[in-house]
Amino acid sequence: MTQSLPRFSTGVAGLDTVFGGGFVEGASYIVQGQPGAGKTILGNQIAFATAAAGKKVLYVTLLAETHDRLFQSLSTLSFFEKAELGTNISYISVFQTLSKEGLGAVVSLLRKETKRQGASLIVFDGLLNARDRAETDLDVKTFVAEVQSQAAFVGCTVLFLTSAGVQDDSPEHTMVDGVLELHEELVGVRTVRRLRARKSRGSAALGGYHQYEIADDGIRVFPRIEAAFHAPSIEDKPDPRPLRSGISGFDEITNGGLPRGSITLLIGPSGCGKTSFGINFLSAATKEEPGLHFGFYESPDRLLLKAKALGLDLSGHVERGEVEILWQPLTENLIDKMAYRLLDAVSARGVKRLFLDSFGGFERAAVHRPRMVEFFAALTNELRAMGVTTVGTWELRDLFAPEVAAPGPEISSLLDNLIMMRQVEIRSEYKRALSVLKIRDQSFQAAPQEVYIDGHGLAIKGPFEPATGISTGLAKPLEA
Amino acid sequence: MKIVVAEDEFLIADLLVVSLEEAGHEVHDAGHGAAALKLVRNFVPDLVITDFMMPLMTGLELAEAMKADSALQRIPVILVTGAQGSIARSRNDLFDRVFDKPYKMDQLLLAVAELGGSGNRS
Repeated sequence: MTQSLPRFSTGVAGLDTVFGGGFVEGASYIVQGQPGAGKTILGNQIAFATAAAGKKVLYVTLLAETHDRLFQSLSTLSFFEKAELGTNISYISVFQTLSKEGLGAVVSLLRKETKRQGASLIVFDGLLNARDRAETDLDVKTFVAEVQSQAAFVGCTVLFLTSAGVQDDSPEHTMVDGVLELHEELVGVRTVRRLRARKSRGSAALGGYHQYEIADDGIRVFPRIEAAFHAPSIEDKPDPRPLRSGISGFDEITNGGLPRGSITLLIGPSGCGKTSFGINFLSAATKEEPGLHFGFYESPDRLLLKAKALGLDLSGHVERGEVEILWQPLTENLIDKMAYRLLDAVSARGVKRLFLDSFGGFERAAVHRPRMVEFFAALTNELRAMGVTTVGTWELRDLFAPEVAAPGPEISSLLDNLIMMRQVEIRSEYKRALSVLKIRDQSFQAAPQEVYIDGHGLAIKGPFEPATGISTGLAKPLEA
Repeated sequence: MKIVVAEDEFLIADLLVVSLEEAGHEVHDAGHGAAALKLVRNFVPDLVITDFMMPLMTGLELAEAMKADSALQRIPVILVTGAQGSIARSRNDLFDRVFDKPYKMDQLLLAVAELGGSGNRS
């Protein structure tokens, strides 16, 4: 019979997930990172969350900025509560004890003070300083071991904060139950913050790098999607009924519409009508089946303007709460943060129709491109399990080309349905074409269709006139 | 004047001790309240300057211990604090002056001169 150890929530969004449910009560952890990585903010954020839960915290410093300077900079963060200072969180410095009497005296002082305060958490900010004062590696190992065992004896959790430079095989590392590394790195021209649970005794941590950011509410961690959603969070129960597309003529050629809970890739070059397809798709949203536009390009106002020009009342749907528009500009984004934003928006309103413009927007945000297949696998599996019918766009590079290339084979095989749209040049005019190339588990009409804008957005007129080369955009009519 | 300083933060303690010595005072300092109380009992100073948040004994507890001791209760106490200003000010039975960090050193030295001079609590 396996036992689960009592847990201690860190109070930091996403961090509990990384540590398999939070810190273990009475365990000790090292938080390691270069100056500026966010150790002090993290230590304080955990301290304030612990105090808010009604427990006592000891925040111990050695040689650092003065406490009042620290309070000043913390006061800009929303978790900071002045009332906790000196009541539930005691800030003390032990540097003088260390320099006059040595590590042993510090251990003794901490033991007494922990007992005096009834502390459940000690944050020790400055392990590296203790290291400087130590005569040998053994001193530091002894120090960490003694602080840890005395704290564990009274069920007190300890966080040792230290600057980088501590090696993998440092004695301190072997003594503690977990090591959390904070990294702030330059990738290309971007600063990327990511953390890693290097060690986690007593529970399985989510390995590898997870991005985090520091904002007004402190630190937020975004566990890597493909790790956090190794399998979908709920059971996938496929629904055989098709979902009507909202595009006139489309449901007729697909036996009722798009399969519910499926993922459709809508590919086509710029200007072929992908956005219009999406607006039509979302205009079929109802209160029972809410819609979400998750886009990287048009701002919400521009999108609503476009809908109006198409003759569709998307604004009405938005006002009635049937459709939500979430816009993230294609600037420097955190890919996992956006995935959580999407999934949270879907579950908050029970979204059933999702238009994602585009899949490429996620790809652009990735710092490590090779993870994209696993990322999309996890994301699409989760959307399927949630019963969301998703249409996601992908830009074809060439407006007119003799060859048509789909996104890589791994991505294509993750998706259920494939629809291609094109502007076609024929007889000195441009017409629009839409081809359903694949619909999983459903029959459909395979011929290219001619599409036009009919005052209610996009509509399918009928099969495209007989011609060759429609798919390339450069068509030659077939004379009868 | 004989002064005892109780301050756990080294940078602040150091600055305070040096400034007071330069002003001509004899200073004894401790890194926490319990050690400070020992110094006060040993040296019976003319004035005590103390921080609030300290390990083993806070500045509040130190002042209370002094007040409970007939040999020490007349010694004036200046409290210097980063966050407990309002708590300290509500206890004017314990503290003759309260300074919030960061404070101006010359203003503190002025208060020291005023309070220590008489040797008695006002």
